Amino acid sequence: MELFFYAIVIQFLSVIVIGFLQDNRKASIVTHSLLAVGLLLGFIASFTPLVYSNFPTQNFYFFGIPNNLFRFDTLALYFLCIIQLVAIPLTLYSYPYFKHYIEKGKKVRSTLVFYTLMLVSTQLLVTSNHSILFLIFWEVMSLSAYLGMIFEKEKEEVQNGSFYYFVMSHIVVYLLFIFFFLLHHQTKSWLFSDFHLSPETGSLFIIAYALSLTAFGMKAGFMPFHFWLPRAHPIAPTVFSAFLSGIIIKTGIYGILRTFQFLNPTPEWLGWLMLAVSMISAIFGVWYALAQHDIKKLLAYHSVENIGIIGIGIGIGFIGSAYHSLPIQVLGFGGALLHTLNHAIFKSLLFMGSGVIYQNLGTRNIELMGGLVHRSKYFVMLFLIGSIAISGIPPLNGFISEFVIYNGFFITARVLKNYYPLIMLLSAVGLAFVGGLAVACFTKINSIMFLGSERKEVKHFNVSFYEYLSLGMLALLCIVIGFYPQPFIGIVNKVLTDGFVPATSSSELLNINWSYISLIFGLILFTFVLVYLWKRTFQKKYGRRTADAWGCGYKNLTPRMQYTASSFADELNEISKSVLVYHKNSKPSKKIFPPKEYFESHSEDLVDNKLVLRGYWKFNSVISKIEFLSYTDLRYYIAFILIILTLYSVIAFLWN
Amino acid sequence: MLQGIISILSILTLAPMFAGLVNKLKAIFTGRIGAPILQPYFDLYRLLRKETINAGSSSFVSAISPVINLVAVVIAAAMLPIGLAHPVISFDGDIILFAYVLGLARFFQILAAMDIGSSFEGMGAAREAAFAIFAEPIFFFTLGSIAFMSGLTSIYDIYHSIRLDNVTYIIFIVVCSTSAFILAITECSRMPVDDPNTHLELTMIHEVMILDNSGVDLFLYQYSSYIKLFIYAILETSFFYPFGVKSYTVGIVIFVVVIAILSVTLAVVETVTARFKMKNIPQYLLFATAIGILNLLIYTFTK
Repeated sequence: MELFFYAIVIQFLSVIVIGFLQDNRKASIVTHSLLAVGLLLGFIASFTPLVYSNFPTQNFYFFGIPNNLFRFDTLALYFLCIIQLVAIPLTLYSYPYFKHYIEKGKKVRSTLVFYTLMLVSTQLLVTSNHSILFLIFWEVMSLSAYLGMIFEKEKEEVQNGSFYYFVMSHIVVYLLFIFFFLLHHQTKSWLFSDFHLSPETGSLFIIAYALSLTAFGMKAGFMPFHFWLPRAHPIAPTVFSAFLSGIIIKTGIYGILRTFQFLNPTPEWLGWLMLAVSMISAIFGVWYALAQHDIKKLLAYHSVENIGIIGIGIGIGFIGSAYHSLPIQVLGFGGALLHTLNHAIFKSLLFMGSGVIYQNLGTRNIELMGGLVHRSKYFVMLFLIGSIAISGIPPLNGFISEFVIYNGFFITARVLKNYYPLIMLLSAVGLAFVGGLAVACFTKINSIMFLGSERKEVKHFNVSFYEYLSLGMLALLCIVIGFYPQPFIGIVNKVLTDGFVPATSSSELLNINWSYISLIFGLILFTFVLVYLWKRTFQKKYGRRTADAWGCGYKNLTPRMQYTASSFADELNEISKSVLVYHKNSKPSKKIFPPKEYFESHSEDLVDNKLVLRGYWKFNSVISKIEFLSYTDLRYYIAFILIILTLYSVIAFLWN
Repeated sequence: MLQGIISILSILTLAPMFAGLVNKLKAIFTGRIGAPILQPYFDLYRLLRKETINAGSSSFVSAISPVINLVAVVIAAAMLPIGLAHPVISFDGDIILFAYVLGLARFFQILAAMDIGSSFEGMGAAREAAFAIFAEPIFFFTLGSIAFMSGLTSIYDIYHSIRLDNVTYIIFIVVCSTSAFILAITECSRMPVDDPNTHLELTMIHEVMILDNSGVDLFLYQYSSYIKLFIYAILETSFFYPFGVKSYTVGIVIFVVVIAILSVTLAVVETVTARFKMKNIPQYLLFATAIGILNLLIYTFTK
């Protein structure tokens, strides 16, 4: 495990190097190469024990001295692997990304420092065993992400969005402080490995869970707390938003899973709560996504959906824990863990893809795109792979994890009988509904952005080698996990046996006939190739040509006459109008020769609009009542402080 | 395995005939002579020898989509039991794969429609996407409810767990087959959701999506839509096997009889109903979902 710390040191070295290098270009090259080497080493260090040793080293020996500050159990290693798996392509991607800004003459050195800090602190976060250390890394991670987010701080939307994130992450830290103090108070230890509370502690147990689920759930973006995601993700530089969506929100999931290790078995109602909240997040996350025109905002809402799917798995796991049923826990938590990996992969792929588009076109509005497939076919293919994977469609990786979760539903119904089949059926229907909406949403963005002809003239569309490489790596992972899931299932199973499920024979996950599924996927591919070649021979024989599309005899079709994203989604948005806060403004004219008409549609977030903003204004108006205390002179404030201090001491004196 | 291969081959060969049968019956009910039952085969053969014309702005998506459509539909068909035969593909959880493989076909169908860049295809694609969302729950409410009650997850096992010696099961079958019928109508774009024979592009769903295809591409689309219709017919017929007799001949006889009844029903429905307004279709589908929920109620009350 010392290798891991060397790797971290190499990564961290780039922060120091940047200090000495004044030239932006050189700084970028050095940082990225150091990071790439460090991450690769770190990946080897975390991947080998996870795969090859049966039960990886629990404690970390720092040059022979036992050390409790860090612990490398399978859960930590698993998350470490996910982080590095995303960070390696992301670093490859971030080189051309920052180069683009350097060429424009923007200073990127500080942002590079924040990027490095964010990567390093996230890796240390999941391995730390000491609560205070955990909180420190948590704060460094949140703050470096915030500082990276305000890269284009001159824009107003950047200021607003990053402020949401800033406030949210501080509420989270505040709650986590209380959570860890509570655990410390009960167990008299600061170490994760010592934390354990049983349900017999009564209200404390529930309070601890409430704190943890609120705090980590806020970070993860579960439904009532999701409002910061669509605000913060679009405005962050792509490198940061990809990491934010791929990894940082997963630290919330990591936290919830850790909490489960501290506090189990869970009561049953907690499982129900988790399931309900997750189901709502999944359904409404994707429904909100459908109404968006901003590609990054849309992807942010999809993160809410996928976090919901992960949460469904965790909810099933909680229910299993309440009934001490191993198969339910294995499939529930297994599905959640697997989907965490999968979502990290395809979501960072999609975010990086959106970043490439943004840099080339200078807009995030999908209504202004179109026809990009004629510019770069391979880029579109990579983005399409990510889209198919995220929609949970076979034969890619998204299907594999959703399949595990479906199996979790089935096993819960089978084991617990009673009214469970009913609720599990409803959950399955809910998940299928989410899948349908995701298909609608991703066919929408793919077709509007890439297909057809260009709505706005594209001046240039270049995808550099590094961008292809990083997107290709992630797309390859999507394909590999889809077609050959066995090794990944094995790893997840190992994580479960080591950290979650008390017994050893937890093979429900392995019992699924994975090789059969791989075989079918292979068959799909084989038949596809066969039929495609067959089709080609026929086309050779009878000819193939292109002609204009059918326009009812009208010849002068322009790109503006193509179907738009809002009309594509209109039918579904109309149904959910009240929840979505979906507005349509138009001025139709009734004249025979109509003048210029006007139509716009946009959707707002219910929670953001009705709760957060309204609450903020209420709070603001209350606070502004004491505005008369605000002075420009510093001496008044010193006087206030003195008065308060005197009051405190008087009270403290009288109290004794 | 041999039975499975025979059944998938018979699905592949008989699928166009089923569509032809429905069309013929429909023609008879409306007082016409109608095209021969084998007309779909002639159509397919004709399409095969035509030149392929692609729209100017189409891309590789248009080229691969028809193939993916056919492959996905064939894989789905390979999971279904005909008679009492064991299907080729059958494992625990294949009910999920069945639904999602059809999702793969739909994904590329919609993309290929949008690939043309024309508003006609756009409208069809948007409708397909919207109605599919409401169709998905119906599938899970019908077949899924039996799966959850029996605790089995393979389509073959699910169908074989149905026993008609129980009154609740009979009610159950009636309810399930009703909603499966509505599902078939929606997924295969038949009346009253979509009119396959209409001539106005604005009112179509499935037909308008393949408006700009021709030659081998159109052959693949048409053939897969015939197979898809047959798949849903098989889903429907499979409810009626388990009369206690476990003989293959009886299974096949039941299959043929039910398919015949089903084609008559489809033809009657298509004759007597007009196509719904587009905005009413979600309500119609929600109605089918509500029937599915009835299953749950039956289940709870008989518990």
